Amino acid sequence: MKLSLTKSRFAGFISAVALITGVLVSVPVAANAAPVCDGKSPIQTCGGVTSDGAPYAMMVPANFNGMVALYSHGYRYNIDIPAGIPLIGGYKITNTPEPIPGGNSEVAKYFFSQGVAIMGSGFARQGWNPDSAIKTNVELIGLFKEKFTATTKVVAWGESLGGVITQGLAEKYPDLVSAVAPMCLADNVPAELTMAGDFLWGIKTLFDPTIKGGNYSAGADGNAEAYGDLVKVFTVMGKLQAALATGAWPDTSSATGKAIAAGGVPSRSALLLLGLLAGLPTQSAHFDSVNGPDGALKLSFPLAISPALAILENGTNAAALAILATQDVELQAGGAIFDNTKTNYSARIDTERVIYNAALSGNSAISAMLGALSAANPGAPRAVGNAEAIAKMNALHSNSGVINVPTILMTGVADPITPAGASQRVVDAYAIQAADEKLAAFANYKATKSYTAPAKKLLMIWNTTPSNWTKFTAAGSPITSSPAAQGTNHCNFTSAQLVLVAKTLVAAGESGKLPTAGLIKAAVRRTGNLSIDALYRAPLLKYYNEQ
Amino acid sequence: MTVSAVLAVASLAVTTVPAQAAEVGVSSTEIKFGMTLPMTGTASPGYNKIPAAVKAYFEYVNANGGINGRKLTLVVKDDQYVPTQAVAKTNELILKDKVMALLAPLGTANNKAVASVVNPGRRGIPVLFVNTGFSGFADKKKYPTTFSVLPSYIMEAKIMSEYIKDNFDGKKLGLIYQDDDFGDDALAGFKQAGINFAVKVPYASGSQSGTTAAGWVQKLQAGGAEVVILFGVSSATAAALGTAAVLKYAPQWILGSVGGDATTIKAAGVPAGVLYNAVGASFAPATTDTTDEYVKLFQDIYLKANPTQTFDNNVMIGMNTAFLTAQAIQAAGKNPTRKSLIAAIEKSGSTFASAALVPLNYSSTSHIGYNGYWFGKYSPTGDLKPAGGVYTVYTTDSADGAVVKSTYKRAAMPAKGLPN
Repeated sequence: MKLSLTKSRFAGFISAVALITGVLVSVPVAANAAPVCDGKSPIQTCGGVTSDGAPYAMMVPANFNGMVALYSHGYRYNIDIPAGIPLIGGYKITNTPEPIPGGNSEVAKYFFSQGVAIMGSGFARQGWNPDSAIKTNVELIGLFKEKFTATTKVVAWGESLGGVITQGLAEKYPDLVSAVAPMCLADNVPAELTMAGDFLWGIKTLFDPTIKGGNYSAGADGNAEAYGDLVKVFTVMGKLQAALATGAWPDTSSATGKAIAAGGVPSRSALLLLGLLAGLPTQSAHFDSVNGPDGALKLSFPLAISPALAILENGTNAAALAILATQDVELQAGGAIFDNTKTNYSARIDTERVIYNAALSGNSAISAMLGALSAANPGAPRAVGNAEAIAKMNALHSNSGVINVPTILMTGVADPITPAGASQRVVDAYAIQAADEKLAAFANYKATKSYTAPAKKLLMIWNTTPSNWTKFTAAGSPITSSPAAQGTNHCNFTSAQLVLVAKTLVAAGESGKLPTAGLIKAAVRRTGNLSIDALYRAPLLKYYNEQ
Repeated sequence: MTVSAVLAVASLAVTTVPAQAAEVGVSSTEIKFGMTLPMTGTASPGYNKIPAAVKAYFEYVNANGGINGRKLTLVVKDDQYVPTQAVAKTNELILKDKVMALLAPLGTANNKAVASVVNPGRRGIPVLFVNTGFSGFADKKKYPTTFSVLPSYIMEAKIMSEYIKDNFDGKKLGLIYQDDDFGDDALAGFKQAGINFAVKVPYASGSQSGTTAAGWVQKLQAGGAEVVILFGVSSATAAALGTAAVLKYAPQWILGSVGGDATTIKAAGVPAGVLYNAVGASFAPATTDTTDEYVKLFQDIYLKANPTQTFDNNVMIGMNTAFLTAQAIQAAGKNPTRKSLIAAIEKSGSTFASAALVPLNYSSTSHIGYNGYWFGKYSPTGDLKPAGGVYTVYTTDSADGAVVKSTYKRAAMPAKGLPN
């Protein structure tokens, strides 16, 4: 049986990630802040540019009920990408406004049916932008209210980095929003870029030491370095994929990598280890780490191969963002922001090394790889960050996780770009907040003999995976041309799931509280591939291991 | 109606109306358990007989009225010995099949994966009598609802070390072991006992085959190993013994309890003669010892339900696990809950009747099951028998405690082998 995938080298690994979204609506253009409207019915579309230069769009139904839903889009690369770069070549920076996720007409239709207006901007700057984007959103809310004076409620939602912006808006300006829904929420920038940095550093250290992996120059030189890294990382991924069955190491491997290879450790085990160290999910769009093809590989495929393939698929999906977001934040911070001089990688995978022991080729191989990646090995030099730049990065907007208004989180349990742990961190923070609120209520009862139970303000919806989904051709090759499984890939939500969030958001915005648990349970069950299991726990991002 | 009449009616109601279900997996007529283990795949031989063994005993109990009127049932899921499969199947058992407790889930890595991802401990779901000797699962703080039952691999290695010192002192030692926490536990035990190996051959779980075993044998031969210990699953034992026989390599074999099931090894094509004189270990009576009341009863029950099968060590362990489970449920009260089940084992588990020749060590602070082994040799037909026909049992702990000759006297089997 062959292990080659059924699609060309990378094509199967490209997911239509929600990070980059296209043109969605045709809006009247205004060169100033005040919106210019087309006056059409039943949907009036308005456009303009905020004072910081962000184009925006507003769509207001004729039956406007006073509520507007503000959407914040996800990460868009902050540099143009030359056409020759694999996967993402040809991208041009865009600040096209996005008032609804991915231009989803079903979701828009729902809002309009309820008399709810929608709006969103393209933000003034792309890349990692919550600081400016939150300000843009505040201005946009004001512009909408000024134009549509019947406005009574604003609800906000967003995906990925847009989730960070949405949560940030609710944390900083709770009076401006009645309810929010951060979806496939990204974590704060140090946590996200630690994941990116760990994976890139590992790929560089073992498979191609000419990869820069960070500390990019300013200006055009830095862009060229980032482009070079994109090509090199994708090339390494291609070589690793080609060698999945044989375990051969890329010819570009470092001396450290070659030494591990000489010990008989297959390259797929090293790739898996790097994914585990970084915290990438071991289930991906097409690899469940559960199924195997009929025949000799029935057992060994899920046990020894599938987890590595999942890391390959997830890692390829995440690599472009890892490189380009690192470059962008370095530009904002003024230097290298990834530093793993004190990272204890061995301590990070205490459980994973047991679960994926066979795929990692056993404890001896794991010890050899971790030894090779340890700070004590001069053949695996650690990345040294710029302290001033790191301080500046840490000063960029961060969410604490405080919940001020009814909040709905929804995220995929195997999202490779914004891991579910980012939402788990908010859930954990809210557990403490809710306990404190209960204590305060009891204290108030003691003082006044009047008890008001604090309302539950957070609903966590997990977008779950099926029990298994990897499929094989009659010859036993895994199929990667099918749609990504639910719960995998980035912000991989169905329209029904988005509508469920929209409905809950509108209900919470109107009443000031989340719908009852019974209603939510029934709706979640009907929608499919969702869970509100309070006992499910996603692992936090690895960054928090060191905090 | 007087107060006493009301009480009398109430009392009558309690005794005649079936208990109402108040716990997941517990109805008025049934208590449902779930098990994950390899029913297919490389690691399945031998282990795949356990469910039928458990079911045979459960059916025996059910035929005798069940436990407080409820039947015991078992839902089995095949995880192929793949940790991610174990996670998926355990989720099914909990969320779809709605079992009350997980019973004897098999494999160190699988149980660790389930503990980490599904987290039965956090959910309050009992994980009874895990089918792995990894010492870590007795850590009540880390795995609050998990109960070990097998003696730990550290205990086994420590006791085996004493046997080696007594019988093979000065010989060159070789070790084949599964290169994960299972094997690491054994290494820790041997290290603590001061055993040094001339050759150590680790193998990654799932990689065992005739081809890989040829490499193991080559290393052992090259290292001059005269006594070889096998600390892996039965399929690895079979691969090693079978390949060694073909390559005319015949050291003194010592088989760990996990990989020492003769039926499985023989079913894999290894002639019984190859097993002859190999050393093996067990904590239960020899399966051929029909003078033992448990062996006789379990054999009768099992063969009645599975007339074409062979009664072997995996069956014995499976039936003993079912026997412990029935007692635990009985001790958990008339309307057992997950919480009361855990409390019952902690309170009374050390007094449960058992076929084993070593004691159970459950208490409010300990989730450790058995803690000892006896050693014997395989007969020309491949049956493990105690040396000199007498079970000499040694016990120890997973820490630095000494290996001591056990004075434990097994209590008589309760009437008909049913919970009292």
